[in-house]
Amino acid sequence: MTSLLEPAQSDRSAPLAEALDEVRRSAQSLLADLGDRPRALRIRAGDVVVEMEWTEQQRAVAAAPAEPRPAEPKPAEETAKGSEIRAPIVGTFYRAAEPGAAPFVSEGDQVQRGQQVGIVEAMKLMIPVEAEADGRIVAAIAADGAPVEFGEPLFRIEPSAA
Amino acid sequence: MFRTVLIANRGEIALRVARTCRELGLRVAAVYSTEDRDSAVVRFADQAVCVGPGPARHSYLYLPAIMEAARQTGADAVHPGYGFLSEQADFAEACEAAGLTFVGPPAGVIDQLGDKSTARAAMAEAGLPLLPGTIEPVADAEAVAKVAADIGYPVIVKAVAGGGGRGMQVVNDPDDLPRQYREIRSTAQSLFGDDRVYVERYLPAARHVEVQVLCDRHGNGLHLGQRDCSVQRRRQKIIEESPAPGLPPELVEQMGSAAVRGLLAAGYVGAGTVEFLVDEQQRFYFMEVNCRIQVEHPVTEMTHGIDIVREQLRIAAGERIAATQEELSARGWAIECRINAEDPARDFMPTPGMLTELTFPGGPFVRVDTAAFAGGRISAAYDPLLAKIAVWAPDRPQAIARMRRALSELSVEGPGVSTNRDFLTTALDHPLFVAGTHDTSLVDRLTDSQPREER
Repeated sequence: MTSLLEPAQSDRSAPLAEALDEVRRSAQSLLADLGDRPRALRIRAGDVVVEMEWTEQQRAVAAAPAEPRPAEPKPAEETAKGSEIRAPIVGTFYRAAEPGAAPFVSEGDQVQRGQQVGIVEAMKLMIPVEAEADGRIVAAIAADGAPVEFGEPLFRIEPSAA
Repeated sequence: MFRTVLIANRGEIALRVARTCRELGLRVAAVYSTEDRDSAVVRFADQAVCVGPGPARHSYLYLPAIMEAARQTGADAVHPGYGFLSEQADFAEACEAAGLTFVGPPAGVIDQLGDKSTARAAMAEAGLPLLPGTIEPVADAEAVAKVAADIGYPVIVKAVAGGGGRGMQVVNDPDDLPRQYREIRSTAQSLFGDDRVYVERYLPAARHVEVQVLCDRHGNGLHLGQRDCSVQRRRQKIIEESPAPGLPPELVEQMGSAAVRGLLAAGYVGAGTVEFLVDEQQRFYFMEVNCRIQVEHPVTEMTHGIDIVREQLRIAAGERIAATQEELSARGWAIECRINAEDPARDFMPTPGMLTELTFPGGPFVRVDTAAFAGGRISAAYDPLLAKIAVWAPDRPQAIARMRRALSELSVEGPGVSTNRDFLTTALDHPLFVAGTHDTSLVDRLTDSQPREER
């Protein structure tokens, strides 16, 4: 992948150093959001151009059905809106209405906006977790019976094309 | 002693409680809203749990979320700080039911003392002097008019469930009474969900003097002297000091023992504050009890050399108060100024925003309680308290000089952010404050909102 230059350390190049620093931060943030690192990344600030190159192997993997894997919880503002169903309250997350029952949803299921996909129990209150948009459950992130915080991702959902 | 203390609060008080927990070797569990994700206490804590979105009613005030956070963190005690759930009997009860120690008085005591009407009855029973007025809530405007005619105008109509300077209305003129009575009842209903009100004589030129009390579970109680909180704007304290200037020693003694007597009679446990009004003839009257740590506790800590949060935790753990009243002694003088992110030039409008630069004062005997840091934000979702600056000196003139110096070192920068720093300096410079003869009308004199004749 394209290496990023370290900012120069002289006073004269301070504006350039700041700009490079900004580029580096943007690149790191962009890469952090990608599941897989590209072979090359080019960023141009004038008229904003971002180019990424992928290897053939990466293309093949990307085309294959996604292997679901638990994702690290991220602050709500860092993920695409509607791509995750999050805990509405701090509490204990349950995937089914009662022990032994079938889960509300499984990976691959199509869900509709407002459909119940789980429960968070807080102080003996059973708070339903609902899908906020139509789509397909692509990953169950939180385990059944796990303690969850407010806003923690529970499912990853691929919204249906509008 | 406890293993893990959940701090059910935010901002400077959460950090201040966390620090004492750390000194006692206790694990610190913090709660935070999405608005406070990057806050100082979250970084300081051993564990932090997100309990909800920015609006307090969905996070810091949302009991199920706080109780869940306590469960998830394995806390065995909960410190409520001040504000939020700190004086909610339901919270103390829920903690008890969950097998957690609530760092504060029992739920029943919070219930009794949180209701102004039953608090006045309990304190009258314990022999504390009350202002002329009603103990029971008044039924209608006619009843208020009758009481007001008996005790004389001006009167103050107060919400039974009020507190924190909210939910009260001064009535100067009998003709205004019906309208103002209706207004305060509707305000009380919307603020506290309880429209009951009572009436007492209003003292326009009184001093607000409070007594810090500690009571343990073994029936011991003592007081840590007085704080004068007469510098208030719209009944919000902005400068507090300990001791209260110019009170005769016998009055100080009477107020201290009355406060301890009242709280012990009510079955109080923990740190509590009894607020009094002191009139021009230096007579004192019971006003209310605060069942929690107070914002202004640092001035008492500085004059007495006692960490009040440490005492709260020790008492909650069942330990006895370590000292007797006779063993306690206060030294010197302490003053606290509340630095608010607000603009005095725009009627003290809060000024939330990003803090690009922040320099706090230092030097001898200066204490800064804050959770603010450069690069952090002052959220619009909560109160605008940015920091508390407290100073200690051997006497009051030196304490005032030290506070002036400390305020001059304060530098707060950020787009759109202002503070009340210069306003506080003006108040410190006022001849009445310098002389220690000021009362609760001082800020009105400075803002000219209610011009008054110099007495």
